[in-house]
Amino acid sequence: MTDAMRQLSLRLGRLSVVVLSVLVAAACSASGRIAGAGGTLVRVNERDFRLTVTPNHVRAGDVLLAVRNHGPDTHELIIVRSGSRLPLRLDGLTVDERALSAVTAASLDGAGPGSVGQVRVHLAHGRYELFCNMAGHFMAGMHGELVVD
Amino acid sequence: MLGRADFRPFASQGRRTIVAILATFAVFSALSLTLSIWTTKGSQHRAAVVEVAARQRTLAERYVNEVLLARAGARVDPAKTASILARSADALLNGGSAPSVWGDDDETKLTAAKGAIYRAQLKQERLLFKDTTTTGNALLTHHSVTDVPLSAHEKLSMINPIGRLRVLAALTSNVSLNAARTIASADDHNVNHLIIVQAVLGALGLFTSLLLGWALIVATRRQTAHFRSLVTSSTDLVLVLGADACRYVSQSISTMVGRAEAEMLGDGFEAFVHSDDRAAVRAAAAYGGRREIVFRLLNQSGEWRHLEAHVTDLRQDKSVRGVVLNARDVTERVQLEEQLTHQAFHDNLTGLANRALFRDRLDQALARAERSDRLLAVLLVDLDGFKQVNDSLGHDAGDQLLQEVARRFRSVVRPSDTVARFGGDEFALLLEEITEHEAVGLTQRLLDQLAAPVAIAGREVVLGASVGVVLGPGSGQGEELIRDADVAMYAAKDAGRGRYEIFCPEMAKELGELLGIEHELRLGLQRGEFSLHYQPEIDLETATIVGAEALLRWHSPTRGLVPPARFIPIAETTGLILPLGEFVLRQACAQAAEWRAAGLVPESFVTWVNVSAKQLGGSGLHAVVQQALEKTALPPSALGLEVTETAVVEQGAAGNRARAELKILHEQGVRIAIDDFGTGFSSLGQLRHFPIDMIKVDYTFVQGAVHDAKDAAITANLVNLAHALGLVAVAEGIESQGQLASLQGFGCDLGQGFLFARPMPADQLKDLLVNGAPQFAPDEAVA
Repeated sequence: MTDAMRQLSLRLGRLSVVVLSVLVAAACSASGRIAGAGGTLVRVNERDFRLTVTPNHVRAGDVLLAVRNHGPDTHELIIVRSGSRLPLRLDGLTVDERALSAVTAASLDGAGPGSVGQVRVHLAHGRYELFCNMAGHFMAGMHGELVVD
Repeated sequence: MLGRADFRPFASQGRRTIVAILATFAVFSALSLTLSIWTTKGSQHRAAVVEVAARQRTLAERYVNEVLLARAGARVDPAKTASILARSADALLNGGSAPSVWGDDDETKLTAAKGAIYRAQLKQERLLFKDTTTTGNALLTHHSVTDVPLSAHEKLSMINPIGRLRVLAALTSNVSLNAARTIASADDHNVNHLIIVQAVLGALGLFTSLLLGWALIVATRRQTAHFRSLVTSSTDLVLVLGADACRYVSQSISTMVGRAEAEMLGDGFEAFVHSDDRAAVRAAAAYGGRREIVFRLLNQSGEWRHLEAHVTDLRQDKSVRGVVLNARDVTERVQLEEQLTHQAFHDNLTGLANRALFRDRLDQALARAERSDRLLAVLLVDLDGFKQVNDSLGHDAGDQLLQEVARRFRSVVRPSDTVARFGGDEFALLLEEITEHEAVGLTQRLLDQLAAPVAIAGREVVLGASVGVVLGPGSGQGEELIRDADVAMYAAKDAGRGRYEIFCPEMAKELGELLGIEHELRLGLQRGEFSLHYQPEIDLETATIVGAEALLRWHSPTRGLVPPARFIPIAETTGLILPLGEFVLRQACAQAAEWRAAGLVPESFVTWVNVSAKQLGGSGLHAVVQQALEKTALPPSALGLEVTETAVVEQGAAGNRARAELKILHEQGVRIAIDDFGTGFSSLGQLRHFPIDMIKVDYTFVQGAVHDAKDAAITANLVNLAHALGLVAVAEGIESQGQLASLQGFGCDLGQGFLFARPMPADQLKDLLVNGAPQFAPDEAVA
């Protein structure tokens, strides 16, 4: 019972986060600037097995990444500053995140289809790679580029 | 009377509420159980789905291994694994049975997948798997894997065929795992829903039960309040007595006593009970034994109120634990009883003893005289010339004269002597322990006193008297002595008024005449010298004749018309009253039946017949009545019997027989009336136990009702009493319009008297019935 209750409250908590995110996302979508927060909104749409970044050019500074998973599979998001090809792990299926830890700007854990997540990052000038690192997803094409001027 | 168990206005409501509470629990429990079973079933199925879905991941990895092993020349069958994977994926998506994989697990029956996300994941799994197997086949058949078309939107840039296959397998594995997670999470959702719904159901059930419980409490409170208000607002006085203290007094009692309830509780109550009655109240509290007690309680104005209490022993009743006294204030009734008892023994006008009291004193004096061997004397005094005074100066003057005479008598006799007024202008004196010489001296003084003139209505009136003296004890019979004195008195009158005569046996000639009457009565019965007259009974409101009283008349060939007062006492002492009574009953029934048959009288018309104590006391009156009714086919309700109060209240065997006879007759429908009411040994409390329909207020009260406030009060009280007991009140002897008006004012129902009609032969009454009721005009022939 107590486990179930805990789960319930956890879920309710998550639900409220999701609702809040949707509201924030909706409020910001019109201008592309985050009201009162001083940053740029970048939408990241994920689906099997594509990843689009809109806009893919922003100015350096605070950036709010609004991530929506269109499914059907679960996806995560990692953003790294890298101008070159990303290193793979030995299994040949995933990107070696540890090797990239120094250049990782932010990451969002895996979330199911229909989920909306967001992360605020301060991005300096450079090229950034956004990708899903579930097994095989990067290899299947789930990566995109964001250029920060 | 209602038993305690019969009157429970709210009990069913309480039961209903409890049933409702139980029903609520039952409904909510059933709902909750059904929901749990349904959810558990769902969970069981989803567990199977999760197992199959999770298995897909392992199968996808196994397929890749088998392809690689097969390429290396090992003996493996990736096609079989692919087939299991494909069939399982189909079963997961569209329902059906997922095949066994390891040999030791069973086929799993699945229903079609529900939920958009889950189905999308399963479809994606199928596409990815198809891409995996196509790539696997290309690898095994050494075809180019880069030419394999991909269907799940994956874009593979690598050329290495094994790498491609592994990526595809990883994608398949991923989506399989996530599909299993989705369904498991849906299960979590369901469990959470179940918890919420169960909690809501529980709360609703609890709330409803609390609501119903509250309703039950309210109903119980209301019931308690209802009974409390029944008790407190009732005019009945209610007490609950414990073994040694008062536990409860109703509001009506504290109001009567004028003290706060707290002062009356505990030991305090006894202080307000009359000291003579405390033992009875204590006994009732200690034993709860007697069903009814009467006790006196001091009210706030310092009067003793008589309370008649019904005692109910509820000491075993846990909700009471005491003896309950339900009391009524019967003070007015007790006072009326005392008044009537006084009335029964005293002459209202003069305050002297009446005949009944005189007879009682005489009997006692005779007993004493026999013991002490001393003489006593009985004097009967008849005033000469009183009638003339009454006629010429009026009733009031007559009354004043009688009061003066009484005063003078009292001034002559010794304190131990008894002076009585027998009625009219007839007085009697009882002188105890006296010699003949003293008796004569006293008689003479009496005559001397009377001879002095009396000033009445501005006139000087001189009265004389005839006195008969008899010395006792003689035979020791009181009635005989009075009769002898009467004989001597007539002898004095005959000898010229204003004198006295002492009884001597020679005067027994007159006595012989009295005895002769008995013989003539017997003959008269045989010869048919008796007849009935009827006196109508009038409804005082509608002025219609509603009944008639049958009165016996004797036309003796030698004596002429003999008044009933002359022969009825003789008939009673000789037992001739029984055949005479039968004659009256038969005759009256026959007459009543004749009137009814002729349509002269309404259904409700009652013919009343006087029944003596002798007739009642002997058994068989009801048989005689029944015979008379059957013979004449008269319904019992058309016949009424008038009995005296004395006959009904008499103690002992004769009284019991009388009451039993009356009860039988009353149950048959015969009407019963108490005659001459108010003159007997009144016990009004007992009246309600008797089978009676009507009381006839004695003519002495009726006639006094106009000019005597006390008589008027008694008459009014008697009428009220009759109504309170649900009886009809009849006034006897109405002679004037004034009396009629008073009685109408008192609300008296019926009346009888010379004002309406004298007793008359049946033929005359028939004329009256044919021609309609008489008007309330004074009868000119009033004597």
